[in-house]
Amino acid sequence: MRSIEEFTRPLEYVTPLDKVLGDLVKSWAENEVMPVRRQFDEDWERHEIILPAFKKLMAEYGLQRAPFPEDLGGMGLGRSDATCVAVFRVFEHIARADSGMGLAFGAHIWPMEFITFKPHENRRLCEEFAPIFCDTTRPVFAAMVMTEPQGGSDIENVEIIKGSTLQTTAVREGDEWVINGHKLWASNTGGLAELMAVYCTTNPGSEDLNDFAVIFVPSNTPGVTHGKPYEKAGMATDMNSDVWFEDVRVPVWYRAIGPGEDAKWVGEIMSTGNMGIIAWYVGSMMNIYERLQEFLEPRKYRGRPLKEDDGVAGALADFASTIEALRILGYQSARMLDRQDLYGERWKPKAVAKARAHRYFAADKSLEAVGKVMNLMEAYGADRDWDVEKHWRDLKIIQLVEGSKQLCQIEVARWFFECETL
Amino acid sequence: MAQLDIFHYPRSRLKDVDLALASSLEGMLEKEVTSKRLELKEDYENLLRPSLEKILVGIGMQKMLWPEALGGEDHNKPDVSYTIVSALEQAARADVGLAFLAAHSLSLQAAMALEGNYDEDACRAFAPLFCDGSAPVIVSFVLATYGKGEVSPLKGGKYPQVIATSAGDGWVLNGKDIRPSCSGADADLFGVLCSVESEDEPAFVVMPGDASGLYRGAEFKKTGLAASRNAEISLSDVKVPAVNCLWRGEEGFRRLLSWYYLGLAGAGVGALLASYELIKEWGDTRVIKGRGHIFKDNPLTAALMGEIAKEISVSRLLAYDLAGLLAEPETYGDAGSQSIFVAASMIAHDIYSTAENTIHRIMELMASAGYAKEWQLERYWRDVKTVQCYMGSAELAKHDYARWFYQTKTL
Ligand SMILES: Cc1cc2nc3c(=O)[nH]c(=O)nc-3n(C[C@H](O)[C@H](O)[C@H](O)COP(=O)(O)OP(=O)(O)OC[C@H]3O[C@@H](n4cnc5c(N)ncnc54)[C@H](O)[C@@H]3O)c2cc1C
Repeated sequence: MRSIEEFTRPLEYVTPLDKVLGDLVKSWAENEVMPVRRQFDEDWERHEIILPAFKKLMAEYGLQRAPFPEDLGGMGLGRSDATCVAVFRVFEHIARADSGMGLAFGAHIWPMEFITFKPHENRRLCEEFAPIFCDTTRPVFAAMVMTEPQGGSDIENVEIIKGSTLQTTAVREGDEWVINGHKLWASNTGGLAELMAVYCTTNPGSEDLNDFAVIFVPSNTPGVTHGKPYEKAGMATDMNSDVWFEDVRVPVWYRAIGPGEDAKWVGEIMSTGNMGIIAWYVGSMMNIYERLQEFLEPRKYRGRPLKEDDGVAGALADFASTIEALRILGYQSARMLDRQDLYGERWKPKAVAKARAHRYFAADKSLEAVGKVMNLMEAYGADRDWDVEKHWRDLKIIQLVEGSKQLCQIEVARWFFECETL
Repeated sequence: MAQLDIFHYPRSRLKDVDLALASSLEGMLEKEVTSKRLELKEDYENLLRPSLEKILVGIGMQKMLWPEALGGEDHNKPDVSYTIVSALEQAARADVGLAFLAAHSLSLQAAMALEGNYDEDACRAFAPLFCDGSAPVIVSFVLATYGKGEVSPLKGGKYPQVIATSAGDGWVLNGKDIRPSCSGADADLFGVLCSVESEDEPAFVVMPGDASGLYRGAEFKKTGLAASRNAEISLSDVKVPAVNCLWRGEEGFRRLLSWYYLGLAGAGVGALLASYELIKEWGDTRVIKGRGHIFKDNPLTAALMGEIAKEISVSRLLAYDLAGLLAEPETYGDAGSQSIFVAASMIAHDIYSTAENTIHRIMELMASAGYAKEWQLERYWRDVKTVQCYMGSAELAKHDYARWFYQTKTL
C-alpha cells in the first residue's frame, strides 16, 4: 500500500526543525493516540483517556513549551523563520490521529503567539509564564478566550467591527486590570487551561482599536469560574465551556502587547490559525486514505476488486486529488507566512485574507471529499471502527474555528475587491 | 404541522386519515420525545425504545397494511404511499432513527400485503406477529453490498450476504459477518436477500430473530441513528419454512426497495423540516455584524438561507412525487419495475445528498450552536449521514440509472 508521504509536500520548504518535530509527532500519534482514539468520544467530559495521551506530546516531548525562547527553556518557535512550515507538519501528524487534539494544541499555541513571536515578543511575560509550561511532568494548556454569548464572528472581524461588540470589560485600577465578563467555547476551557488570553474592551462599544485588549489571566485567579464541558457532535479531545470573570484582578503588565498592538496582532493569530487548520484537514484525510486502502483491499464489486471498477476508481481519484492539491496548498500557505520578506507581514489584511481563502477552499473541498468516502464505504462508512466517520464529525467544526465560512468570504472579498463596508 | 405547510406538498392527495395520523404522531412525539430530549438525549431504553413502541403499537403503524381479517387495519391501497410519507416526515422530525425503523416495517408490510402484490400465505404467516402482540416488531433487512468473493454478484454488481440452500420443505441460511441495515442487536425479524446455491435468481427470505443458528455480535458504535442498535450477525444453518421465502428473482426485491426508499425519503424530508425550524429560530433572533443586524436580513446569510429553503421545498415535492408514482401503479408501473425502482432510488439518494449538504450549510450558519448537542441540529446531521451510508453508495446507484436510461449492454 502506498504511504501517505506519497502526497506531495514541497520539499524545498523542508527545514531541519520540521523533520525532527514531524517524526516525533508521527510516532506519538501512532503509539499514544491511534490505539485509544475510538474511546475518546465517551471521554469528552472527563478526559481520563485523552489527557494521558496528550501527556507525552505536551510535557515529555515538550511541545507545550515550544513557542518560548530557548534561553527560557522553550524551543524558540516564536523566533524562527520556519515556524509555520514546521507547525503545519506537526498539525498534520496530530490530525492524522485526531484533529480535536490538533485544535487543542493550536488553541494552546495561539495565545502564546502574542508574547513569544518576534517582533513583538513580550520578554517580561515570557519570563513569567515559561516556567509553567516548561514543567515536563504534566501537560499544561493555555486558552484563547475570545467568543462571547452574542457571537464570536464579530470579535474575530477586527478590521470592521473593531472590537465594538466585546462585552468583557477590563478596567484599570492602579496597577491592576479588573476584568468582568462571560465567555463561551474557548478550546481548553472546562477547567483544563491554566492560562488564558482574554479578549476584552477597555471602553465598551468603542471602535478605537486602542481599547481592544488581550489580557492574560491565570485560571486560578480569584473570580474566574470555568463551567462544565459542552457535549458536541465530535472533537471530544477539545474541551470547551463557559468561563465567567467576576472582578478578576491581574497585574497591569499582563496585557499582551499594548494599546493598538493587541488588535493588530490578532491578524497574525488569524492568518497562522487558518493556515494550521488546512493541516488538520490534510492530516485527517491522509489517515482516511490509509483506512480506505484497507477497506478496499478485500472487497469486490461486479466480480472484480472494488478499486478496479472504473466507476469506483473515479471516486477514489477525486479523493486522492483533493489531498494532493490541498497538501501542496497548505504547505504553500505556511511557507508564505514564514517568508514575510517576500509575501508581506502576516498580521496584515492581505495575509489574513489569503490564509482565509486557502482555508475555506480547503474546508469545502475536504468536507465534500470525506462525505463521499463515507458514502462509498456504505454502511461501514458510519462505523466508529473505521475511523472515517470520526474524522468527518471532527472536521466539520473546523470550518468555523478562527472564522466561519461567511466571515472568510467577507474578508476575502474585502481584500481582493477592495470593498469598504463589508 | 402548521408552519411547515409553508413548504408545499400535494395536500389535496392526503386523506383525512393521513392528516389525522400525521397530526397524532406529531403530538405524541412532541410529548414523548422532543420535550424530553435535553434530559434523555439519545437514551435507547428510556426514550427511543418506548417511543418506537408508541409509534408501532400505540399508534398502530405496524398493523397498518395488514388485512383486517388478520388483525390489521387494511390500509393497503397503493395510495398508502401518501400516508407513509406524511407520517414518517413527522416521525423523523422527532427522531430520524425512529422513522428509519418504521420505514423498515412499512416496506415489509407493503411487500406482502399491498393490493396488487397481496401474498395471502405470507400475510397469514406474518400478520399475527405484527397485529396480535403488544410489543413492537423491529424489522431489519440484510441487503446486498460489496462482496468478498464467496458468491456470484447480482446483476447490479453487488453481493448478497447470505447463501440459501433449498432443503426439503424449507431453506437453510448461512453467512458470516453480516451487516444488517439496522437493529442487528435486537431485530425481531430479518428480511434477508439471499444468493441461492447453484442458481442465478436470488431469494428473499424472512428470518425470525429467535431462529436457532442466528448469532448476534455486540452492538457497535456508529455515527447516528441511536434508535437502531446495530450489530453484525452470523447464520449457521438457520432453517426457515418455505413460506418464509417471499419471492425469487429481483422484481420482488425491487418492489420492497421502492417502498423502503419512499419511507426513507419521508424521513429525510422530516429531518430537513426539523433543521429548518432550528435555523428559522436562529435567523429570527441572532444578531451579526455589530449591533442591530438581524441574521436573516444579511444578504450573504439570507442567500444561503434562501438556498436552504429551496432545497427543502424541492426535496419535499420530490418525496411526494415518489408517493404519487407508487400510488398509481396502473399509470406509472408496478413498484417492482425497473422504472419505478430507479425513480425511487434517485429520489431517495437525492434527498439524502440534499439533506447532508443542507444541514452542513445550516451548521455553518449556526456556528458553534450547530455543533453543540444542546441545540439538536447536529443529531439530524449525523442521522441523515448514517441513513445515507446505509442506503448504499450513491456513486454506484448511478449505474442502476445508467442501465435503465441508456440500456447499457455490459454494465
Ligand atoms: C470546537 C470549537 C472550538 C472553539 N474554540 C474557540 C477558542 O479556542 N476560542 C474562542 O474564543 N472561541 C472558540 N470557539 C468559538 C468560535 O470561535 C465561534 O464559534 C466562532 O467565532 C463563531 O461564533 P459564534 O458561534 O458565536 O457564531 P456567530 O458569530 O453568531 O456567527 C454565526 C454565523 O453568522 C454568520 N456570520 C457571522 N458574521 C458574519 C458576517 N460578517 N457576514 C456574514 N455572515 C456572518 C456566519 O454564518 C456564522 O457562522 C470554538 C468553537 C468550537 C465549536
